[in-house]
Amino acid sequence: MEHGAATLAQGLITAWALVAVAFFALGILVYAAVRSRTRAVDLERTVNDFRSLDIEAFRNLVDSAEEAFLRDNLSPQKFRAIKRQRMWAALLYAWEAGRAATALAKVGQAAQRSLDPEIAASGVQVTENAFRLRLQTVRVSLHLLIEVLLPSLSNRSHPSLADQYERAAETLFRLGRFPSVLRTLVRSKSA
Amino acid sequence: MLSHWHKALLLFLWITPHVLLAVVAAIIWKRRLYEKFPCFFAYVVYEIAEFILLFALYVVPGAGKQYAYAFSATLLLSLALRFGVIDEVAKDLFRESKLLKASARRLLQCVAGALLVMGVLLAVYAPGNNGARWHAGVSVVNRGAVMVQCGLLVSLLLFSRFLGLTWRRPAFGITLGLGILTSIDLAASALRAEFTSEVMKESLNLLITGAALVGVLIWLGYLLAPEPEPASALTVVPQDEVKTWSTELQHLLRD
Repeated sequence: MEHGAATLAQGLITAWALVAVAFFALGILVYAAVRSRTRAVDLERTVNDFRSLDIEAFRNLVDSAEEAFLRDNLSPQKFRAIKRQRMWAALLYAWEAGRAATALAKVGQAAQRSLDPEIAASGVQVTENAFRLRLQTVRVSLHLLIEVLLPSLSNRSHPSLADQYERAAETLFRLGRFPSVLRTLVRSKSA
Repeated sequence: MLSHWHKALLLFLWITPHVLLAVVAAIIWKRRLYEKFPCFFAYVVYEIAEFILLFALYVVPGAGKQYAYAFSATLLLSLALRFGVIDEVAKDLFRESKLLKASARRLLQCVAGALLVMGVLLAVYAPGNNGARWHAGVSVVNRGAVMVQCGLLVSLLLFSRFLGLTWRRPAFGITLGLGILTSIDLAASALRAEFTSEVMKESLNLLITGAALVGVLIWLGYLLAPEPEPASALTVVPQDEVKTWSTELQHLLRD
């Protein structure tokens, strides 16, 4: 009797859980449909966001020598708290770099549809490199997230971390040099 | 006992999507989209043929058992074809990037594997009460399959948004329509396993056929909508600027 009631309850819970999953998926689909109608890439905003990035500050955040100094001069508890904050700040850099890569990918794909074969060919390169950059920021973000969760770990195991971030930030700084001629392009609807 | 309006509504929602599917098939044929989406074309044609068979069995008196068997048998092939359609839209989405063709598809295969495990586990641990044993088996397979399909379609949408991938209209429409169909199917099959009353059964039938109508209308809309112009605004972008972007990104990615 009790076993039967438990089975029934389990079945009901699973059924309603599946219904919740289904409606969550439906929500994402509807959101995607609506966004595809109104989506616009605000590249200017992305560039401005990246202009606010301070590469030197970022370098300091992930610098292993700096970390060693803090480890030697702070209590373990204090060190963990500060390292967690530093890695979280670095993670925000990665987030912004990734957003810019996504915007660049969209612009690159729009360029691929250009009637001018040279622009289209350049668009292919921009797109491919933007995708690569996006995937790189994911990898870096995961490393940083691990360090946020486990601050006792040394970041020396990721020597390329700072370089990758520096390159990301440098590129996005450079985007600021381009005039706003792309405004019309990036605001054209896609999908 | 079904009221007249209920039965009329059910028939309307059953017949209309299939009539519209014939229009979808005609558009695919006329625009030669079967070259890009052969599996979707096969799926559409198959759904029409399936409807003709099932409708014929439905109107023949005393063919209830044959109808049930035919429904289950045709459902399995329909599920298999849907997987083919999802593979097609994924290929179309990653068409322009060699990098994504390799890495993103690998990631998607991992997602598919994880969803498959989840689908099997959820299907097995939500047995419900489905009456006949063969029908229960088909329900379990259907529940697991739509769970995987729904998850894959949502993953495609999220992945494309995350990477900034641009969809072509037909592929986006196919994904959206199929996504709505599978998500409603998932909810309905989960509820059907637990609530076996006639009222619930009929309500769920209305829900599924209604979702089918919405899905087919979405396919029609996206197939009829013209592809955006090849970015006429792009002509205002100086060629050297695009090249500069490319150079800068290559510099960024240099190891």
